[in-house]
Amino acid sequence: MSKRVAIVSVAQNAGAESADNFYDQAYRVAREALDKAGLTREELGTVVTASSDIFHGGISCANSYYWETTGAFLKNASRQDGESLFAFFYGVMRILSGQYDTALVMALCKGSENPPNDACTLMFADPFYQRPVGLTETTAAALQMRLYMEKYGVTREQCAKVAVKNLDNARRNPYAHRKGDYTVEAVLNSGMLADPLTELEAAPKSEGMVALVLATEEKAKKLTDKPVWFKGYGSSLDAFFLGDRDLLNGQLGNAAARAYKMAGIGDPGKQIDLAEVTEPYAFQELMWYEDLGFCGRGEGGKFLDSGATAANGSLPVNVSGGVLANNPYVSRGLQRIVEATLQIRGEAGQRQVDKQVKTALAHGTHGFAGQCHAVAIIGS
Amino acid sequence: MAKEYKTLMTEIRLPYEISYGATWTRFFEGMAEKKIYGTKCGRCNRVLVPARSFCPRCFVDTTDWVEAGQQGTLTAWSYVSYRYFGMPTEPPFISALLRLDGTDVDFLHMMGGFDMSDFEQTRKIVKNGMKLRAVWKDERQGHILDIKYFEPA
Amino acid sequence: MGRAVGIIGVGQTHHGRRTEMSYPDLVREAVVRVFDDAGLTPADIDGVVSGTMPSMMEGIALTHFYFADAMQAVGKPILKTETCGSTGVSIAQTAYYWVASGMADCVLAVGHEKMNEGNAQATMTTVVEPFYQRYFIAGAPGVFSMQSQMWADRYGIPEDKIRDAAAYISVTHHDSAFDNPYAHVKLRVSMDDVKNARLITYPVRLLDVCPTSDGACALIFASEEFIRKIGKKAAWVKGVGYRGEEYFFGDSDKGVWQSAVQSAKQAYDQAGITNPRKELDVAEVYNPFTFQEMLFYECFGFCGFGESPDLVLKGIFNRKGELPCDPSGGVLCTNPIGATGLIRVAETVLQVMGKAGDHQIPGAKLALSHAMGGVDQFNGVMIVGSEL
Ligand SMILES: [Zn+2]
Repeated sequence: MSKRVAIVSVAQNAGAESADNFYDQAYRVAREALDKAGLTREELGTVVTASSDIFHGGISCANSYYWETTGAFLKNASRQDGESLFAFFYGVMRILSGQYDTALVMALCKGSENPPNDACTLMFADPFYQRPVGLTETTAAALQMRLYMEKYGVTREQCAKVAVKNLDNARRNPYAHRKGDYTVEAVLNSGMLADPLTELEAAPKSEGMVALVLATEEKAKKLTDKPVWFKGYGSSLDAFFLGDRDLLNGQLGNAAARAYKMAGIGDPGKQIDLAEVTEPYAFQELMWYEDLGFCGRGEGGKFLDSGATAANGSLPVNVSGGVLANNPYVSRGLQRIVEATLQIRGEAGQRQVDKQVKTALAHGTHGFAGQCHAVAIIGS
Repeated sequence: MAKEYKTLMTEIRLPYEISYGATWTRFFEGMAEKKIYGTKCGRCNRVLVPARSFCPRCFVDTTDWVEAGQQGTLTAWSYVSYRYFGMPTEPPFISALLRLDGTDVDFLHMMGGFDMSDFEQTRKIVKNGMKLRAVWKDERQGHILDIKYFEPA
Repeated sequence: MGRAVGIIGVGQTHHGRRTEMSYPDLVREAVVRVFDDAGLTPADIDGVVSGTMPSMMEGIALTHFYFADAMQAVGKPILKTETCGSTGVSIAQTAYYWVASGMADCVLAVGHEKMNEGNAQATMTTVVEPFYQRYFIAGAPGVFSMQSQMWADRYGIPEDKIRDAAAYISVTHHDSAFDNPYAHVKLRVSMDDVKNARLITYPVRLLDVCPTSDGACALIFASEEFIRKIGKKAAWVKGVGYRGEEYFFGDSDKGVWQSAVQSAKQAYDQAGITNPRKELDVAEVYNPFTFQEMLFYECFGFCGFGESPDLVLKGIFNRKGELPCDPSGGVLCTNPIGATGLIRVAETVLQVMGKAGDHQIPGAKLALSHAMGGVDQFNGVMIVGSEL
């Protein structure tokens, strides 16, 4: 890349149910991101939002509804559906095109208003084959978890430990929705969702208005003394039918390889200082360690056991509490970037890690058993 | 004979619980008392109705609550005479944009108070620029249909 | 403007009521055709942009999952763009920015809708604000008819004249559709047929309204370098514009539709166009309603405000006129919504490449495409030309 793009400000709301309506909640977070960047609405170049359609909000063409809440009145703006890291990348693209010097990227989801997660994810299924047999993100994940444990000898306890770690980390994150000091036993006994998944191993349904402001290098230097730079991005989509896919060797490796290539990362385990990944189901964090190249194939459980991914470890993962603590479905990918940005800037408050974070990874996934993955690399 | 293909008949129902939030809660409390509230932007001085927590153009919080007039001027209308699945209002009806007295944006509601079964007769009555006034239901519950319709003043 | 970007392939389905095939197969029909047209294979593609109208239309959420295979997108980077009715042009603009930014060299853009599987107006109603406005807006016809009524009144256009002009548009577009092999509704109708058709939402009658269509459209966007390397002819992107307005119908003046005016201005400025009626050779205006099409002519600077009905009746915008608009028959004859905006771009690409067949405007070199959406909120414009 000849030109550089920086994140100059971030804002988010808390994941717990809010009495505000969607419209006001969105406006406040957008306003905060612009205020922190010292930008007026008039100065703002372009807006790219992410939201999901009617099933995750009850209103069709959701960006019609919230258009003005993101400061987009009479601006050139666009919207991504399903994954908010898509919106981040589209915002970067718009700036790299040379047409805009600033962009507000925002993800919008108000989980408290929506039906249960899986009532929505059932709508991803095709109406002929999958929907009648009740395939949802949870049942697909349960199949994937069983396969993963059987193939690599990963234990249920190791999977549960992801929830223990993340929900404990969340205790230091004021924005986190679910948090607590749980034992492995408590996680395993938290109620069966779809064997072998238990309730605390699956993400909740949270509020999530998440925003950041992007700027060109020249503009960023005027807006902040702590720019966080865009370094790389990659995404990849897998086949639709579960039976057509290798559920233990999905598209995350592919997405990560693209992001690493763009960012010039050859040894992710050494070059990445901190990662925020999307783990709607606890065991998936272990699988993602492997796909991201943090450890060898089948070694996710051991890598967790080593303490490497703890908040004080060599490669902290989900210091924010991750998606198990906070799950605003569409917004969760962008929230990972926001958390990584705060760590790089040293502004993560109580959850700030001790080590210096120069390069961080943010990951988003959506769809059955990780049908789609996106990876972004940012750094100081 | 043309070949026939099978189709799957299916239906989706999902529940949503959509928050009013503080500003719209207050607006609808006003409706129950036969009041139409707007809010004023301290920067562009426009009165927005229904009430808004922020000005879409200035992107700042609105500053003052203002009671809008119960009368207004018709700015656009359409006589609706078709039906579709799940239609919330029974046709024929007249969708209407009107500028309530003391406000700076158009308010959407419907017209009524006269026989509109025949379109050609209706068209002779309805003209942009005509004055309209709100007709309220006797039993009000803090809903947009607490105003039955706007009738020619 | 970033890197130069060209469009090198067009694929459309035969639009219509396609109950004989499933939705993924319909998407695949357009994707197979775009690869045939461009002479490329999925291996050449660096990224895929997918998009549709609201999920409620067919009852399937996040359709990029469902169509991963049909779009040949497995293992590819993907983006999913949705902006209501303007989705098609927003998909095209996403693909454009992906290449212009240098983040990809060759991008596949796919838009699709199988509207006969759901209920269009029931879906449209769920776009509208639920507390204040949903009861009063009768789907898309309701909101756009109010806009047309406001516009006609604003400029004092006599009702007979505007009715005649709208009927003229309906007659000529339905006629043009016969020359477009992909069009859905092809009808020979008279001015009187249109004027006496069943009233839908005054002033709009049945033949002033677009159909409910099944269809998909795919385009391939590429960088100048990529295009030179493969030695292909391209339609070059000269300008992209987009603007949106407030959600509450009534907040913005729809008689002089600023999002339409300013989206066109942004695209014209990039393309260096100062007199669109003279400089453009053809336009594919998003015209689900005849009356609204005339307002677009005015917002895009094809003529002054209030002047379009006279010019329509003089034939200025018909296929032999000074600025032919919608020679494909337009949205009025074919409307698979998530694909519709992309079909507008596709038609302009065919025109400037001289590949529009029986509805070719001879010698077309510079063309405008457009789509609109939301609750009378969004307008997007893309301009393509035969020369870089
Ligand atoms: Zn204001």
